[in-house]
Amino acid sequence: MHAFSYARPENALAAVQAFAAAGPGARYIAGGTTLYDLMKLGIEKPEHLVDVTAVPGLDTIETAGGHLRFGALAPMSAVAANETVHREYPVLAESLARAASQQLRNMATVGGNLLQRTRCIYFRNGAGSTSTGNIYPCNKREPGTGCAAIGGQDRGQAVLGQSAACTAVSPGDWPVALVALDAHVEVLGAGGARSIPIAALYRLPGDTPDLEFTLQPGELITAIVVPKTPIGRLSTYYKVCDRESLAFALTSAAVAVELDGGVVKQARIALGGVATRPWRATAAEVSLTGQKLTPETALAAGRAAFAGAKAGRDNGFKIDLGARTVADALILAAGRTSA
Amino acid sequence: MTTAPFPDRPRADAREKVLGAARYGADFAIPDMLYAMQVPATVAKGRLTAVPTAAALRIPGVVRVLTATDFPPPAPAIPGAGPPPSMIVADIAYRGQPVALVVAESLEAAIEGAEAIHPVYANSPFATLINSPGAGREPAKRVTAGDANAAMARATTRHKADYVSPAQHHNPMELLSTTAHWKDGVLTVHEGTQSSNLVKGALMRNLRLNAEQVVVKSPQIGGGFGQKGSVQSQTSLVARAAMLLGRPVKMVVPRGQVFHTATFRPKSRHSIELGADASGKISAIRYDADHQASRGGQFGPDYHEHVPQMYGVADYLGTGADIRIDTQDPGYMRCPYPHPAAFAFESAVDELAFKLGEDPVAFRLKHRATVDPLNGKPLSSNFLNDCISEGARRFGWDKRGLAPGSMRLPDGTQIGWGVGCGAYPAITHVSIATLRIRADGTARFAVAGHEMGQGLRSVLTQVLVRDLAIEPTGLELAIGDTSAAPQHTTAGSWGTASGAPVAAEAAAKLNAAMIELLAGRTVAGNLHQQLAAIRRPYLEIEVSHAGPGQGVKDLAALRGGGYAIAGPEYPDFTTFSYIAHFVEVRVEPRTRRIRVPRVVSVVDCGRVISPRTAESQVRGGVIWGISAALREATDTDPRYGGWLNNDLADYVVAVNADIGDIEVGMIDKPDPQMNALGVKGLGEVAMAGVSGAVANAIFHATGKRLREMPFRIEDLL
Repeated sequence: MHAFSYARPENALAAVQAFAAAGPGARYIAGGTTLYDLMKLGIEKPEHLVDVTAVPGLDTIETAGGHLRFGALAPMSAVAANETVHREYPVLAESLARAASQQLRNMATVGGNLLQRTRCIYFRNGAGSTSTGNIYPCNKREPGTGCAAIGGQDRGQAVLGQSAACTAVSPGDWPVALVALDAHVEVLGAGGARSIPIAALYRLPGDTPDLEFTLQPGELITAIVVPKTPIGRLSTYYKVCDRESLAFALTSAAVAVELDGGVVKQARIALGGVATRPWRATAAEVSLTGQKLTPETALAAGRAAFAGAKAGRDNGFKIDLGARTVADALILAAGRTSA
Repeated sequence: MTTAPFPDRPRADAREKVLGAARYGADFAIPDMLYAMQVPATVAKGRLTAVPTAAALRIPGVVRVLTATDFPPPAPAIPGAGPPPSMIVADIAYRGQPVALVVAESLEAAIEGAEAIHPVYANSPFATLINSPGAGREPAKRVTAGDANAAMARATTRHKADYVSPAQHHNPMELLSTTAHWKDGVLTVHEGTQSSNLVKGALMRNLRLNAEQVVVKSPQIGGGFGQKGSVQSQTSLVARAAMLLGRPVKMVVPRGQVFHTATFRPKSRHSIELGADASGKISAIRYDADHQASRGGQFGPDYHEHVPQMYGVADYLGTGADIRIDTQDPGYMRCPYPHPAAFAFESAVDELAFKLGEDPVAFRLKHRATVDPLNGKPLSSNFLNDCISEGARRFGWDKRGLAPGSMRLPDGTQIGWGVGCGAYPAITHVSIATLRIRADGTARFAVAGHEMGQGLRSVLTQVLVRDLAIEPTGLELAIGDTSAAPQHTTAGSWGTASGAPVAAEAAAKLNAAMIELLAGRTVAGNLHQQLAAIRRPYLEIEVSHAGPGQGVKDLAALRGGGYAIAGPEYPDFTTFSYIAHFVEVRVEPRTRRIRVPRVVSVVDCGRVISPRTAESQVRGGVIWGISAALREATDTDPRYGGWLNNDLADYVVAVNADIGDIEVGMIDKPDPQMNALGVKGLGEVAMAGVSGAVANAIFHATGKRLREMPFRIEDLL
């Protein structure tokens, strides 16, 4: 842990200005559930923290208009418990409720959650902090040093979207659900405000796995906007982990279906736990359209979702398990008809 | 002495624990205290060539950096005793070994200082997996009864298979910590340890102090599980810093460092061959075990601790071997040997029963043991078959379909029912205790023992409250304190079998002393009121207790800070505790998730002294057995050594949502040969056989036999 300075501006513009003034060593902080963790691990060493929790109005949840609009500072637990979200968009509520612990969900914000960093054990445990003492090469942490996960213990690593430089999984649940529902992210930066499709927020690792997001330096996430859609009702976030709570996904699927007499008019499928970014499985969606939803077609869609997957040493099971996870999720989502 | 069962009573320290008032080792804050942080080695093997400290010393608040030259040379050897943990030395034997200790005015400065130290190493080649080149195999003594090879040759049915149990780490909530204070020539150490006596001895040897100069206090432990049974490596470092600086020093070891410096359950391999004779009973057992060991560690491959005595098989051949590699010392972790051994052996017994077409419960019931085949002595009490029968009844075993895969839900979920049994040696140690009853309504009992949540305070309270007819409220239990009574390591399920009898003897002696004091007078009221009535401020007695076959020599060892245990082999008999676990698993049809909705466990631990904490111990053992079977494993990357998943996120222990109903039954029949109360022991046996029952249930559900723990979702896809 290193000394840092700290400011807590009282409006969003002041926060952006404070960040710009502080230079490249600055970080925004809200709930702190991920940043403090990374600081203790020696991965993040900010010189200046801009605490945005005093910015008014950033934690509102609006469900009245044509969109769902979640202020970036809304706690995960508040969005998960929102009645409209719970009833009309179970995929969103479940993606939040199945993440972390109640205590963390009370602190963590839905905006900050979008920027959670990977759980790759070589990335997390290799920075040489006194909490572990381990040192591992990692292109994401220290560009150009190599990747210890490639050729190492890779049971948790990605089977989709990995590169020769990095196989680290994008860890979130909430971003996966948002990708399935075509959400947008509103950000504020030195150049003003802009809106980014959620899928475009995340980069593939390629040769630069240290660059994970498309945010410009100093850009602050202010809100997440989800277009309202009836497809949200028949939806679920299905997550398979090494234990039933307090765990990141081995495989997960955010799915939503629109049915007409058992036939799929439209499907949304996004994958978590298996890819280097929240992964929309468009081919799987297309494969289902016009099909009767049965355990067989659901599994076929799952297989289609992993058609391009590539296994490492220990993580090949994720390709099979991921397909099955999609299948179970589809059946679960469709089952909400009768509820 | 009464043999009636003990009543249910709340945990003696439940209220103070719930209120957060119970004080653990790291809770002791002393004025003017400094904080320490150790610097872990980042190489797996080698030698320190330089430890630059200037950068750390420049950090505001850093007071001193201790390196190898600040510590005395290694303690002189003592015949018959292992060396105390080494302090900071230049030779690196494992990744994470402390190479420097930074002491500062604040924890933050200590951490920053520790992270500013980047030692220079001369690296050496290393081996960190048991199949790595450079691993050294060292056979251990054989365990034999009869002629297993001849019996195996005569067998009409045989089963042979290999089973594997992974490296695992204890993860008690309470981290390792030491708070040391050197004042007026006396070193006082507060830390969570199951062995205040051994800690004291190690400090005396490492720091060249005499017995009067060291006091170790461990009144409450936030989970021991054997991790706190050995002397911890940080203790002498922190104590040395306190002595050099003349100020109290505290260090709490971060979780990731605990993975690297504390002991752990080594990876072990179990090759088992069972033979059955024409009568369909097991007639021969051959069992080869080996496990991962450190280069110089003392934790032997004693996996034959309970297997020979389980099922009355006369012909047994057991071998063992250490595979020496470059890790820290492995050691005792709850149910150290019987957990992996019973996983392997109970799996093998199930596989043989299946081969013979027998129901696994009926098959086990045919094998009631009455004699210890290793020495020919009778088993003093063995209610294993009662455990099995009662467990089967409670579980509803008679509704089980024999064929694997024969039980399933309409959605295709497969149901499996499995049984697994275990045993653990019943061990006891000598004790010297003082009991003082005061006229003011209070009392103090000082005795050997450590409270790690298992319920030792509840046990002592039960006995004293019953035998002295006093209220528990004014009763002080001075345990885990080397200044209160000679201390003994609390481990191996011997706490109750040692503490309860000495409490009963103390109460009897005090009652007798009271009668003598009253000299025929009739005085109304309880002991406190009687003392008040005759104007005596207090009455105190001292009592010593020894187990069967123990005597003066053992008491002398205890007084000298040593180890003095007996069992499971006693002069006239052998004694074990027993348990039978019944487990239901459900395997989901598509994702193949394994769920464990219910368990029934019935235990024979002799007389149950504290039913509430005893049942809690069994539940904890069952939960750990499930967790060990389905989740827990610590991974090493052989390119680097050390441990990869060294936190509570990636070392996966079961959570509440993974655990279903656990029903606990107690046979509660005293073993009067063991001690007057009839106590055997419970903490370790609780976990023995659970993982085997899980494996057997998975086989019954799916027809697939899993022989390497943990069984993960990918194993059933």
